[in-house]
Amino acid sequence: MTTETDILIVGTGFAGLGMAIQLKRAGRENFIAIERAGDVGGTWRDNHYPGIACDVPSHLYSYSYLPNPDWSRVFSPGGEIQAYIRKCAEDEGILPHIHFHTDMLKSTWDEASKRWVVETSKGTYVAKILITGTGHLADGHMPRIEGLDSFVGDVFHSANWDHSVSLEGKRIGVVGSGASAIQIVPEMQKVASEMVVFQRSAPYMIPRWDREFTEGERRMCRRDPSVVEDLRSEIFWSGEFNFAQRRNIPRFLNEAKALAVGHREAHIKDPDLLAKLTPDYEIGCKRLLISNTYYPAIAAENATLEASALKRVEGNMAYGASGTGYELDVLVFATGFEAVRPPFAARIFGSEGISLDAHWDRGMQAYDSIAVNGYPNLFIINGPNTGLGHNSVVYIIEAQVDYIMGALQQIEEQSIEVIEVKRTAEDAYMEKLDTMAQGTVWLAGGCKSWYVDDRSGRLTLVWPDFAHSFRDENGTFHPEGYDMQPAPVAAE
Amino acid sequence: MLDNQPFREGAVTVGGVSVRYRVAGPENDRTPLVLVHGTAGSIDGHYGYIFPMMAYRQRVIALDWSEPEGDALELADLVAQVKAVITAEVPEGPVTLMGYSLGACVAALTAYEMGDKVANLILAAGWLRTDTHQKMRNDVWRQLRDQDSASITQYMTFCAFSPAFMNMRTLTDMKAAAGMLKITPFVDKQMDLNTRIDIAAECEGIAAKTLVIGCTYDMMVPKHHSKQLFGAIEDARYAEIPSGHAVVHERAAELFHYVDRFTRQPDEFPAGTIIPAQKP
Ligand SMILES: Cc1cc2nc3c(=O)[nH]c(=O)nc-3n(C[C@H](O)[C@H](O)[C@H](O)COP(=O)(O)OP(=O)(O)OC[C@H]3O[C@@H](n4cnc5c(N)ncnc54)[C@H](O)[C@@H]3O)c2cc1C
Repeated sequence: MTTETDILIVGTGFAGLGMAIQLKRAGRENFIAIERAGDVGGTWRDNHYPGIACDVPSHLYSYSYLPNPDWSRVFSPGGEIQAYIRKCAEDEGILPHIHFHTDMLKSTWDEASKRWVVETSKGTYVAKILITGTGHLADGHMPRIEGLDSFVGDVFHSANWDHSVSLEGKRIGVVGSGASAIQIVPEMQKVASEMVVFQRSAPYMIPRWDREFTEGERRMCRRDPSVVEDLRSEIFWSGEFNFAQRRNIPRFLNEAKALAVGHREAHIKDPDLLAKLTPDYEIGCKRLLISNTYYPAIAAENATLEASALKRVEGNMAYGASGTGYELDVLVFATGFEAVRPPFAARIFGSEGISLDAHWDRGMQAYDSIAVNGYPNLFIINGPNTGLGHNSVVYIIEAQVDYIMGALQQIEEQSIEVIEVKRTAEDAYMEKLDTMAQGTVWLAGGCKSWYVDDRSGRLTLVWPDFAHSFRDENGTFHPEGYDMQPAPVAAE
Repeated sequence: MLDNQPFREGAVTVGGVSVRYRVAGPENDRTPLVLVHGTAGSIDGHYGYIFPMMAYRQRVIALDWSEPEGDALELADLVAQVKAVITAEVPEGPVTLMGYSLGACVAALTAYEMGDKVANLILAAGWLRTDTHQKMRNDVWRQLRDQDSASITQYMTFCAFSPAFMNMRTLTDMKAAAGMLKITPFVDKQMDLNTRIDIAAECEGIAAKTLVIGCTYDMMVPKHHSKQLFGAIEDARYAEIPSGHAVVHERAAELFHYVDRFTRQPDEFPAGTIIPAQKP
């Protein structure tokens, strides 16, 4: 069965859904969104581990055009974010446009028909425009661990939590000490008889200014929407301020460091543990974490910090690279995602028949962080150089959706059949980004992070500037960067 | 490894006193930006954020005021210092001149006197004529100062920040911030000058493309002053930041946003525009 549509969106997280909502609001009905899972939400559907919450305040971490007065906390739990995304999809009438359980397997640009041919687990789609919103933290990364198959207990990844496994009184190993791990660890410490955390490198952590909103505050937000607008502005610009740390300016970096050091020393009294929890790279080089509960949990009686990576497993023993072994019942992998080489790229083949993944053999890149030469009529949301170390990803997504709306308008007005970014424009854009990235904490901070592509040493995931400048630079369509071919006029 | 931005220091002699300034950032198609701080300020105190961040975009020059000889400080003394720095560093012009608070009054008068050497002008939380509301605040300050009151820095801090900003912090934090303020005899002279500003006539003659930035919750130089500048200067556009007078601390990134956009493309908005706030 072949389904034809003007516009095909892949994925229904904040990105794909945000795109769908704007299309719908603009009166464009001829679009379909395919989603490999059975619900919208992406990240927030898949991550339901104990303790999950956002780390950008909820009033900002949501669509600007669909404010929610009812967030329960400053940093709302994941379930609430998922319910919010679901409600947005329902209220905006998007659900009928979504084909669930439809996995994009292979998309090929067909030069003859000037269409994308998209093979999925539910048949073939043919679309004039292909828009990916497949996320950059969507596919869990499992490190290859020697002997893991022999583990006699339960094993799962943080983004695929097995709630059927009872954890009460168990000996639990948590692998990793990144953003997910620091939310999981305090919850595990509460229920485990013993808990071991395998830490490859110590993260920087600062306090989390979290609290519950009162019913009165929520009513205030419902009664006066300008309160939410003011809050968004306040949260956004105070987040923007922190870009100066990522920019690696001594004064601001040192302020952040002092906050992190003070936080660590206030909670950790044991000098050995303090040494293990002290990072050996510059603050902000890896994701700066926020938590009030991680340090107390790691300092608890039933917790052990193994300051080395999990190396091998044998039966019910798990060994760190240091050689120390621990007897465990459960192993939780909070080891992050396939971000540097996103799996969707291996499934998209352009005009020369090469996959985007192969094309990106020196790392991801795209003009205006959205379009790739050789891949006509394709727009990528939340792809190369869109990540932020300091502010809300939804803000970036909205800017990219605006850009695509501008492009679609031009395509329609001028009856464009093929739109392809110029190679020279793409290269010039990347050169500009490379220059901007020099000296930033991601490149100069002395750490190995998923923001940088090993193969080229280039910063391929992060937008190396303020979030607001992403919108200034990439929030409107730039026709000058593209070759555009009008459709031939049909003979009467 | 920190990104220690290279910069160069310079000095010029004005009326017998040495005025020190700092230069950083690449020369490119943007007009050099000259920064003038406000009362009780300095390059680091008022432009600790804007100076280094703008220097990633373009050439930036900033000066620290020096105390002139004599008992009373006049606007002309400070204008002379700014002119001397511009003449030393960008003799042919043009420059983009930015002033904050009292520095905005200095910058406006400098722009008037230098004509087309100041192509673009940014006036943040500045004013055109001292009014009763300001005189009243200044008078309380004067009394506290004469009594050598320990509360004076707390009073200044209270006036400088918006309630929203303060409420994100504790009283202890705010008192600690107040404790950092230093009042010198030169600051006394600046406070006296603040009571006597009147550049209304000169503002009518400013030709520079101007961006006026008012602060919604400013209790020291309330935003109606910025509106007056917006009205008085012919080629002016207006933006408003929801902060107290201490916008250089409170909303440094948002201030940067306006400065960055304006210096990149001064004519992005035609004269008379009230630039809409970005809604994140
Ligand atoms: C635990 C966690 C916490 C986070 N917290 C924050 C935060 O506080 N603030 C912040 O700004 N960001 C946060 N992020 C980043 C977060 O990923 C983004 O903010 C945002 O949710 C990304 O939305 P998206 O739509 O681009 O991607 P996703 O939410 O990942 O959605 C992608 C969708 O595409 C679908 N898909 C993928 N491949 C295919 C295919 N081949 N065929 C069909 N469908 C496909 C997936 O099933 C998924 O539904 C967090 C991420 C994680 C993992």
